[in-house]
This record gives sequence, C-alpha cells and structure tokens, in this order.
Amino acid sequence: MTEENTVKRIALLALIAACGGKYQAPPPVASIALPDGSQLKPYDPAQPGKARPQGLAQAAGRVYVTLSNQRDGNPFPVNAGPGFLAAFVPSTGAITRIDLGGVDGHQCQNPGSVRTSADGYLYSACSGDFSGSDTARAIVEVNPLSNTVTRRAAIPDGRVPNGVAVTANKIWTGDVRATTTPRPPTVFSIDRSTFIADTAAPVPVDCQKTPNVGFSYVADVMTVGSDVYALCASDISGELYRLDPDTGTVQAHTTVGANPTELAGLVDGRILVLNAGDNTLSLVTPSGATLTSQKILTFASGTAALQDVRAFGHIVFTVASASNTAQRIDLDAQGGPKVVAEASFGTGAGPYNILPLDDTQAIVSNRGTNTIAAANWVTAQ
Amino acid sequence: MPPSRALGRYLISLALLAVPAARAQEPDETIEVEGERPKGSPRAPGAAGTVIDLAQFGGEVRSVAELLLTAPGVSVHSLGGPGQAATLSLRGASADESLVLLDGIPLQGPGGGAVDLASLPATLLDRMIVSRGVLGAQFGAGALGGALELLPRAARSTWTGGAELSAGSFGTRRAAFDVAMPMGSGSAIVALQGDRTSGKFEFARQITPEIAGAPYYGFARENADSTRGSGLARITQQVGSETAVDLLLQGSAGTRGLPGSAGAPTPRSRQSDRGGLAGLGVRGESDGLAWSARASGRVDGIEVRGLQAFGDCEDGTPDCPRLHQTSSSARGEGELIVPAGSSQRVSLRLSGGGEWVRGGDMGAHRREVLAAAASADMALPLGFSLHPALRLDKVGKDAGVSPALAAQWRPEPGHPLQLRTAWGLSFRAPTFSELYLERGGVAPNPALQPEHAWSIDAGAEWRTALLTLSASVFWSSYRDLILYQLFPPGRVKPLNVGQARIAGLELQVVVPLPGRFFGEVSYSFLDAVNRRDGHSLPYRSPHRVFARLAHRGDRVEGYGEMSFTSALPRNAFDTAFVGRQLLLNAGAGVRAVGPVWLDVEVKNLLDDRTLEDVFQYPLPGISIAVIARARL
Repeated sequence: MTEENTVKRIALLALIAACGGKYQAPPPVASIALPDGSQLKPYDPAQPGKARPQGLAQAAGRVYVTLSNQRDGNPFPVNAGPGFLAAFVPSTGAITRIDLGGVDGHQCQNPGSVRTSADGYLYSACSGDFSGSDTARAIVEVNPLSNTVTRRAAIPDGRVPNGVAVTANKIWTGDVRATTTPRPPTVFSIDRSTFIADTAAPVPVDCQKTPNVGFSYVADVMTVGSDVYALCASDISGELYRLDPDTGTVQAHTTVGANPTELAGLVDGRILVLNAGDNTLSLVTPSGATLTSQKILTFASGTAALQDVRAFGHIVFTVASASNTAQRIDLDAQGGPKVVAEASFGTGAGPYNILPLDDTQAIVSNRGTNTIAAANWVTAQ
Repeated sequence: MPPSRALGRYLISLALLAVPAARAQEPDETIEVEGERPKGSPRAPGAAGTVIDLAQFGGEVRSVAELLLTAPGVSVHSLGGPGQAATLSLRGASADESLVLLDGIPLQGPGGGAVDLASLPATLLDRMIVSRGVLGAQFGAGALGGALELLPRAARSTWTGGAELSAGSFGTRRAAFDVAMPMGSGSAIVALQGDRTSGKFEFARQITPEIAGAPYYGFARENADSTRGSGLARITQQVGSETAVDLLLQGSAGTRGLPGSAGAPTPRSRQSDRGGLAGLGVRGESDGLAWSARASGRVDGIEVRGLQAFGDCEDGTPDCPRLHQTSSSARGEGELIVPAGSSQRVSLRLSGGGEWVRGGDMGAHRREVLAAAASADMALPLGFSLHPALRLDKVGKDAGVSPALAAQWRPEPGHPLQLRTAWGLSFRAPTFSELYLERGGVAPNPALQPEHAWSIDAGAEWRTALLTLSASVFWSSYRDLILYQLFPPGRVKPLNVGQARIAGLELQVVVPLPGRFFGEVSYSFLDAVNRRDGHSLPYRSPHRVFARLAHRGDRVEGYGEMSFTSALPRNAFDTAFVGRQLLLNAGAGVRAVGPVWLDVEVKNLLDDRTLEDVFQYPLPGISIAVIARARL
C-alpha cells in the first residue's frame, strides 16, 4: 500500500467515525409550571416576575412552595411583585395561589423557607430586598385549611429574616442582613402569641471564616424535636448550634463542613447537614450537652451546588442545583450511607428544595425553570 | 534574519540529516531548516524554557492554546470548544500571573487581566517561547509563573508567500495567507487569518452522576459559534549600515457566543471584541554597543451582551445592560547592550508609559507604568556562566523590585551536558478589573496590594544530534494572593488573602528518528498547595503528559500525538475532581501538486464526548479537518 493510499484510508475511517450521534437524547422530564408573569400581580405589568420557587412544606394534604416572584435584574434579582405561596395537590396537579403581600402587596416580598408547625400552620420568612430597611420583611402565618394569611409579624429594622423554626412559644429566624463590616451572624425570635419580635438581643451564632476578611451568615434555622438548631455558614467552614427553644441560649455547637446550606432532622434526633463547599453530608449526633459531627458521605464530583436536604425515616433526599439532580440516600446501606438512586430534572432546572412524600417519592422546586417536579429515580445497581 | 545566522542554521542542518523541525522542501525552494531548536528566551538566559516552532505543525489546524500544550509546565484553561476563551497557566500560576508578549509588547486581557489565547492567531506567528519561573526581573512585574513570548513572522528579503485553507467538523473553517517581499531597503510581510466555527457539536453527559455506570445522554452544544479575523503587517528597513527600523502592526476582531456550562447554558449571551497594537522600533550597533528603542501602543475593546450574574438575559431590555470595556496602553522603551570585556555583557533597559481602561462597570482609570532594568551575562572560568538581573517596576501606586540570579555550567564548549539553576522574586500589581470592576456579583477593591512570589529551580539538559533530554525541578512560594471572597450582600470581592506553595517537575525528551521521523515527550508534575489549610489548589492537574511522533517527508507527512491530563481538584477541599482526560490526535498529508499539500487531521480520535473543562463546559468529540496549503 502506498503512503497516499494509507492517508486516504485513514481519512475514510475517521469520516465514518465522525458521523452520526452515538448517544440517546435525554429522557423528557415531567414537571408542572408554576404561576408566572401577570398571574403574580406584578407591580409593573411591563416588567413581570417569574415564580422562582424556593421552600417546600406539606400541610393539609397539599404541598406548599414559596414563590419569590422576581425578575432577573442587574446585578441582583428584583422583587417584581408580592411574595406568594402556591398550594399544590400532588395527585391532581391543581395549584392555588396565596398572596402573601397584604393589602398593598408590599408586606411580604421574596419568601424563602416555609415550615409547618406542630399544630398545622404554615410559617414563611419574607426577606424583602435584603436591605434590612424595607417593609416587605416579615414572618407570615398561613392557615392551610383556608389558604389565607392569618397573621404577619414585622421584622425590626436592620434585620433580614431567613429560615423559620416554629416552637410552642416562639418563631426563630436567622438574620442574613449583610453588612460591609463583617459582624457575627445572629438569630432572633418572634413571640408566637403576640406575633411581635422579641426585644431580647439577637443570639450570635458565628463560625470560622477566613481571618480578617471572611463573611459568615445564617444558612437556616429549624426545629428538630423540641430543640431549635441554627446553621452558620462561611466559605471555609460551618457550625451547627443547638439553642434553647424559649430563650435562644446556646446549648451546644459543633463544626460541620464548608459552606453548609441546609439541615434536616432525623426521627431519632440526629441532624443532617449538607455542605456545599466541600460536597459532603455531615451527621450530627446530640448527646447530653454536646453535639458531635462526622462526615458520612462525599458526593461524586459531578454533583455540584448542593442546596437542600430532607429525610423520611432512614432515607435522605438531597438536591444539587448546578447538576440539576436529586439524590436518594440510604443511611442504613451496607457499608455505610450511600446514594441508592438519583433523579435528573433537566438542563437549567436549578432544583433548590426537596420535599419527601414518603421514602421513595419526592418533589422538588426548580428555581431555574419555575416548575415543580416529581423525582424519577435512576437506581444504583 | 541576519544572513550570518541563517547560514549557520543552514550548515547545522546539513550536518544533521535527521532534521526534526524542518518543514518539507518545496520544489525550487531553498531549504531552511532548524537542526537545533533555540534553547530559550534571550531575555531569560538560565531560565527553564521551551521553544515551540510553528513550522513543525504545517498541515495542522492549531490554535495557540493547542500549540502551547506541547510544552512542559504549561496548562491551558479552555471554556469549551474551538474559538472559545482559553487562558494560560505556567507552573500552576494563575492566568493573571503569566505574562504574554507579542514581539516584546505586553498583551493584556479585558481589564488588564489574563489574555484570551483564542484571540491570538497562530498562523501569524513564527515561534513561541515559554519561559517558566518567577521572571519579573527579565520580563517585568506580573511574570510570577513565567512568560509567553509570541514571535510573529519575520519579514523576508525575497518574495515568498503561502496560503492555507481548511474545513472541518462543526462548521469550522480557516483561511490564512501571507506574503513577504522586498521593500525599499528592507523587507515586508503581510499575513491574514480568518477563522469560523459553528461550534455545534454533540457532547455526552451523565444526568445522574452519583450513580456509578449511569448512562450518558447526548446533547447538542448551542451558541458556541465563533468568527475571528486577524492580520499582521511588518516592515523592516535598513537605515545606514548598522541601523534598522522595524514597524509591526497587528489587529484582531471577533465575535462569539458564550454558551455557558453544560448544566446551565446561556443561549442568549454574546461577546464581541477587537484589538490591535503597533510598535515602531529602531535598533543598531555602534562602537561595539548594541542599542534599540521602541514605541508601542495597544488598544483592546470588548462588549458582552445578554449576560447577567446568574445566567443569560434578553439583550436590549432594561435589566440586561451591555458591558463595554476598552483598555489600552502606550509605552516607550530603550535598551543598551554594553560589552564588558571579551566574555561579559551588560544590558540596560528603561521603559515608561501608561495603561488606561474605560467601561460602564468600571469607570475610567489610568496608571503610569515605569521600569528600569539591568542584567548581565558573565562567562566565568571552568564553564560557568552567571546571569544576574534586577528590575524596578512602578505600576500605578505599586512599586517593587524584582531581582533574579541564574547560573549555568557546561563542562566544556560544545559538551552536550548543561546544568542550570535560577532564582527569582517579583510581584504582580492588581489588574484594573480587580481594583475597579463592579458588575453583577463582583465588588471592586481599590485598596488591593500586589501579590508576591519567589521561586527557585534547577535543571539539566543533555543535547546531542540524536537526543535532547531536559529536566527541571522547581519550588515557588506565593503570598498576598488576590482571591475573590464572599462579600456582603451576596457578592464576591478580591482580597489579598491567599498563600500558596507550588512545586513541580518538568521533563522533555526530543528524539530525531530515522526516516525523517521526530518524536517528543513532555511530562509535567505539579504539587500546588494552599498554605492556609493544606488542601490542593483547585484547577491544577498534578500530572500531564504529551507525546508526539511526526514525519516530515518530501511528499508525505503525518503525525500522531497523545495528551493526557490527570484528574484535577475542582474545589478547595480535595473532595471534587475533574476526571482525567486522554486525547489522541493524528494527521496525514501528501504533496499533491507542486507546492500544494493536502492534509487530513483528526482530533479526539477516541471520540470521547464526555470531556469537560474545569468549569464543566463540554468539549467536542472527534473532529476532522481537511487542509490545503501551499508555500512559494
């Protein structure tokens, strides 16, 4: 064979190899679009917002999801209208909108987390525009039986609520107002009977950060059993605090992974913390006056931007917004906790929160595509 | 090129029948080959260096980034496929810490930062020299990882010309032309290059990456097109017997889509850029002194549309403003080389000028750039030579001293063994972007201080006609590194908080083989550690191997090459990694008619469509290009 023929043969083989797709298209994702645009009472009809769903909670047989109702702004998203809750019936897909904004539409903007109290009410933290001075910051109480706002607690100036922990007497929330001069992050309470912010000094819940320049904040506040837990996050570390549910006194704290985003309680009182910075899951065990933490799982490298964790029995559910995935984790798996199934919600979905319906079914809120979707699991062999 | 130097190279090449870097002889062409590659940059004797001769890559569609990967100690961070942004990292330093110079003129990216290698046209270049180490004393403040010198095609005193056309996968096209001619009392060259790609390639991803063995699905890359045109003109005129004037003009303009990551694409984001530089120099010799002076200027502009901090947006809407930015510089410099005895020489260099930046998110800023440098080349007894250098730089409010010392030893003249060691200390002034850019989630910090670094390295080289073997080890220390930190409310801000230690090993073997074959292998090892917590620095690959076997015949040519990059950390905690990557490329060609060569090139022969860069931008699978070229 001559050299020229060799060249031609190589070219032909390469051409054949380069032709044709060799991978299947990804499967379609079933999801339900959330209300958008004019359905969300935009302040300026010419500049409507998008749902931008966030927190999820379950009450009265329905799933509730907070709608930030924001439009993409420069440099930050802009609150385009009042905050909403969307009540969703999983079996039918029916959606009911609950306007959290009050009579003037400005009494709740940008609601994030939503939690259910032991007596069945819903509580959501409205962060407003994060300035700490607007009137759109609030804790709102919603009766899921009537799907109406029953009470609204104003937030003292200088604070921005994030996370909700509802106890018998108090509602605890974190202060995420950021200041250019770093200060320790704090949590503060609202009296549940008067629905007025307590005058007690906020409780510092700081964590290790880059010396001199680091920034820390309250990632979430949550009730687990009868205790209140607050999660501090920084770029290099995280700290979980257990607080007295009535006074906020720090009872114990422990270091978790870097940049934790969420926590979840297990039925046995242990707490899971999802660490987005180092791609790990921590398990925190309360014992008397101490908390001890151990990392029980490191996620695969392709699972990025971990956002939320929830548990149902010994099964744990997580979501990652950059990889558009949810994970189902068996804590009791042979050899230790491991991911036993995973679901994809499609390119650009940006899943932010997850809500287990049982130990196999879960619903996510997709902030990128403004949808809610049920997880369609791919199971590990 | 001075006739004496050309003759020397010609004679050497005749003595070496194996001509590794030669391009094939065309009919009626005077063969011009390089039997021995230049060893490094004349500006940094004793430093670890690699010369990449572009003539080796005739019949191949190469970008500057791809060419650089043939050298040890180099890594390139690419944002996706052909035509997309790519930046250079030398010895693990960031792109901002690696200087890029075109014919000695410093280039800068938008805001004074990293240079986008995709904006540099490869066919307009003659050679690239990669010098590694803290080389501020030799190249100026900012060269903490080293410097890349781009040497454009030189004017020639005879009529020559060439053309190259290529077409390939993903709608990728290239056309390049150049012509050199005598002009007046000197010569001139004009070269043009145009590139276009649709960027539409299929890539594969696991949509459930936590599940071992989960299937890969196919996706089509969108909004990854790129179009670019570049030109170079160079005129050299002899003025008197010992003085020459050199004019260099270079320009480039392009537009491309900004496709975003695989998981969060940005189909509406676009970028366009244009830039150019001019340099006018005069050089001469008198009374044994060599001297040169040059004035140069550079202007670059960039416009980004449809992009926000958290995704894309509809260009033209109120919440989606365009980002305009223009940066420019002008400087004058002079150099005097003074012989000191029969075996020493001293170089003195002075330069001064300014840098400007203007943009909606940055405002208008300027700063002066002044430098004074001295270096010496001292031949000592017993085969030793010493190369001390000292440079003072003032960049705006920041001033600093960059000393360096290099030493070499050769047992006797012409001996194949050479040992070398070098030490350097320098600083990098913050870029305009770091100081002033305020956009999206990025906050400015006008109070930033310079970064500082020092390094020491040692190397050995064994160079014969049949084998060139070189090895270097290095250790470098960085402090006051500028890192972006969380900054309330919800932004990041650059701060001088980083400390790092980077050590490594670089090996290169070059072997001319019988039958006009030529082989080379390079290996780079990098151990980059964050001194604050002991974790690895992200985005640095510990191991990189490049191997290439090429044949350059009179009628047939071809090559095969392998590039391997080990898994590299993707976060700052050693818990997430970008997988290892193996790329095989090959090409072959024949001289079809007269000076016309036809080549076929295949990249990513394994058709691995799962490859991603460090930012999870997908990379293309197998691609084919057909290339026609001729040189007269």
